[in-house]
Amino acid sequence: MKKIVLFFAVFYLLTVFIHSPGVMAADEIIIGYTSDALTMDPANHRERTTETILRNMYDGLVVRNSRMEVVPQIAESWQQLDTLTYDFILRKGVKFHNGDPLTVEDVKFTFDRIIQEGMIDGQTSPRKSLLGPLKEVKIIGPDKIRFILEKPWPVFPAFLPWQEVVSEKFVKQIGSGGMATQVNGTGPFKLVEWMRGTRIVMERFEDYYGGSSDIHPVGKARVTCLIWRIIPENASRVAALLSGEVDIINDVPAHSIRQIERNPDTRIMTVNGTRSYFLALNNTRPPFNNVKVRKALSHAVNVDLIIDKILNGNATRLNGILSPDAFGHNPNLPAYDYDPSKAKALLVEAGYNKGITVTLDVSSDLKDIAQAIAANLADAGIDAKVTVWEMSVISQDWKKPVKTRDMFLTSWGNGSLDPVGIMTPVLRTGGRGNFSGYSNQKVDALIDNAMVEIDRQKRASYYQEAESIINADAPMVFLWLPKEIYGVSARLGGWEPKADSQINLHDAYIKQ
Amino acid sequence: MEILFKRLIRLIPVLLGISVIVFLMISLTPGDPVEIMLGDQQVTPEMEQAMRRDMGLDLPIHERFVRFLYNAAQGNFGRSFFHRRPVMEVIMERLPATIELTLCAMLMAIVVAIPLGVLAAVKKGTVYDRASVVMAMIGISMPGFWFGIILIILFAIHLQWLPVSGRSTFALRVPSITGMLLIDTLLAGRLDSFIDAVKHLILPTLTLGLAMAATLMQVTRASMMDVLQQDYILFAEAKGLKRHRVIFLHALKNALIPTITVAAIQTGQLLGGNMIIETIFGWPGVGSLVVKAIFTRNYPLVQAAVLIYVVIYVLMNFIADILYTVLNPRVRI
Repeated sequence: MKKIVLFFAVFYLLTVFIHSPGVMAADEIIIGYTSDALTMDPANHRERTTETILRNMYDGLVVRNSRMEVVPQIAESWQQLDTLTYDFILRKGVKFHNGDPLTVEDVKFTFDRIIQEGMIDGQTSPRKSLLGPLKEVKIIGPDKIRFILEKPWPVFPAFLPWQEVVSEKFVKQIGSGGMATQVNGTGPFKLVEWMRGTRIVMERFEDYYGGSSDIHPVGKARVTCLIWRIIPENASRVAALLSGEVDIINDVPAHSIRQIERNPDTRIMTVNGTRSYFLALNNTRPPFNNVKVRKALSHAVNVDLIIDKILNGNATRLNGILSPDAFGHNPNLPAYDYDPSKAKALLVEAGYNKGITVTLDVSSDLKDIAQAIAANLADAGIDAKVTVWEMSVISQDWKKPVKTRDMFLTSWGNGSLDPVGIMTPVLRTGGRGNFSGYSNQKVDALIDNAMVEIDRQKRASYYQEAESIINADAPMVFLWLPKEIYGVSARLGGWEPKADSQINLHDAYIKQ
Repeated sequence: MEILFKRLIRLIPVLLGISVIVFLMISLTPGDPVEIMLGDQQVTPEMEQAMRRDMGLDLPIHERFVRFLYNAAQGNFGRSFFHRRPVMEVIMERLPATIELTLCAMLMAIVVAIPLGVLAAVKKGTVYDRASVVMAMIGISMPGFWFGIILIILFAIHLQWLPVSGRSTFALRVPSITGMLLIDTLLAGRLDSFIDAVKHLILPTLTLGLAMAATLMQVTRASMMDVLQQDYILFAEAKGLKRHRVIFLHALKNALIPTITVAAIQTGQLLGGNMIIETIFGWPGVGSLVVKAIFTRNYPLVQAAVLIYVVIYVLMNFIADILYTVLNPRVRI
């Protein structure tokens, strides 16, 4: 009898102890996110994921809408006076979380703190280079501020959404050490709790000025609470969404898409990313210094099949380096069709009757794709040996001016969606990401002209012409632009993913 | 106390040697933190150089090493390149979570493994013994990442009894005092938060503890079988002592010595953080932090973490030594 009573007592305790599924509140959104913020100081990090989190608490002068256009946020408007000067007019009535009004001095202080050396406890802001040649910020009126560049840099407005405005008084009061953990921004949410590595909790800022007037709805945030739960492992993040513990997850692996779509309470949302994938070919030595061999390679890779089978269709094919969403994209570039016999013929024309033997370098995360490409190449008589590396090791080797290897499957991100962010580093002579060692004087001249051209149409035409030349030179095999894949709960509304992978939740709400 | 002091003195050359090795290894590994931080951006060489200077990487390697030693001697291990804060601060934020998980897993492993190991040894050759050996083999061979995911699918998705990941629920938070939630929640007198913390701990503890339990059980079994064949056991039995007295009072004490050694070494290793378990369960420990630091060439963080590991390891061995003397008074340290 005693034993039976004991058994039931234990069973009762267990059932009390084991919880029921998490019931989420109607006015909070929980995000299952891949990584924690490095810091709460918007000027003292260089990481996209940290910025995504902070951007919900800090607003900037400008912001990008869901179509990735740069629109005013704290600024009311701006004007480019010449290639070196930009004037911004600030909005009125913007307040920091502590109730202080935002002033033009705060904006100047924000940018000085980034561009001047040693402003963060003796360290220089790692975001300095994101402001390019910005030389000086001048106050020219009670709500007017001037940005002066050292040399022309037409992407200045496109790079500005990456900077958030801080309060001068607050920074001076708590110091840069305090800024690492405390937040006093002008954004729609305030920081409540940061449990390192576990979660960041934010609550609605009731005095919010409403956000960019170009992004509707304008007003304070629609939910009262945001919780960012840090779940690095893909399978666990997907599990958290499926079990109803979170509303949004980022970085959904392609193989989990079906599982999320099958669940009636969850769905998939995708958007074109900003990272272009390509197979860099060493243009500086045989066999890839011969344009025919490079063209043969472009015909030998079955890009569509790889997108379909390995990426489950979640990528857009590229015929050049630029994303279709980027400024200056040339939609009329010819595609290199998959045609192994044509590839073989081109190799014979180039004098490689017996085919070629090359190595294909790749970082471990792209190993499967590299092997698929190598299999494609084999059909065209190209024997490619896949060599797997740690990314930081192999990319450093390929960035050296003297290239000693054959092929490199890699990518380059272009969050600015302006050709300056990708064509200059990847295709201009001596660019930091010019893995192929490609050099064409005409292309260089077009890129340089576009750099100083204010007329947007002319500027776009320079890039389009350069893209045509590059397409014909085939310095690399252009592959695809992957989609960013998110899993969301059916109860979430008012949110759509953005190409720059930011998750702004000002307009998001929970359906009743 | 004196012994502990002596041990700590002996630690100094070990730390010095280890720091030389770690510094050289990580500095000579290809890969560049400045390159990693700049990511995909076209920058001028001046900008790149400025960033290198800011991170203290513009100096030649020997100068960097001397500076590192000089600062480390004063307790300053530098700033994390990416967190931009003192590395000790970054590591210490995460250490309590790792300690909490490791101790729970170790406790679970000991509670499960020692009785099972003893039973298997005493009932040697029976079905029970064979079954326990097979179970131990399964426990050791089952990869943590696989077992962890299976537990999540079963208990978090299908049954929805336990949370998928993390350490606590936001609504049940308590002020942090020790950083270990089981203790903090009790100090705050919050039973609901304590239960919440336990629920979050169950799956990672099971995943981590299973492999440990399997190893400990095998060691206990083997050692117990060995002890049971000793003359003094035979003598004790001949004296007419009861079987359980012989096993628990005479045999077990001696049999536990190898078990303790293995447990101490395992605990020492796990206090360095288990990257896989921490990643699967979103457990904010040092393991995932340090592995990421290695990939991003975050030199100061890796160096400081390795030094902490060494200190923990030496301390764990010291604790094991002390436990020997308690179990077997013939042992002196």
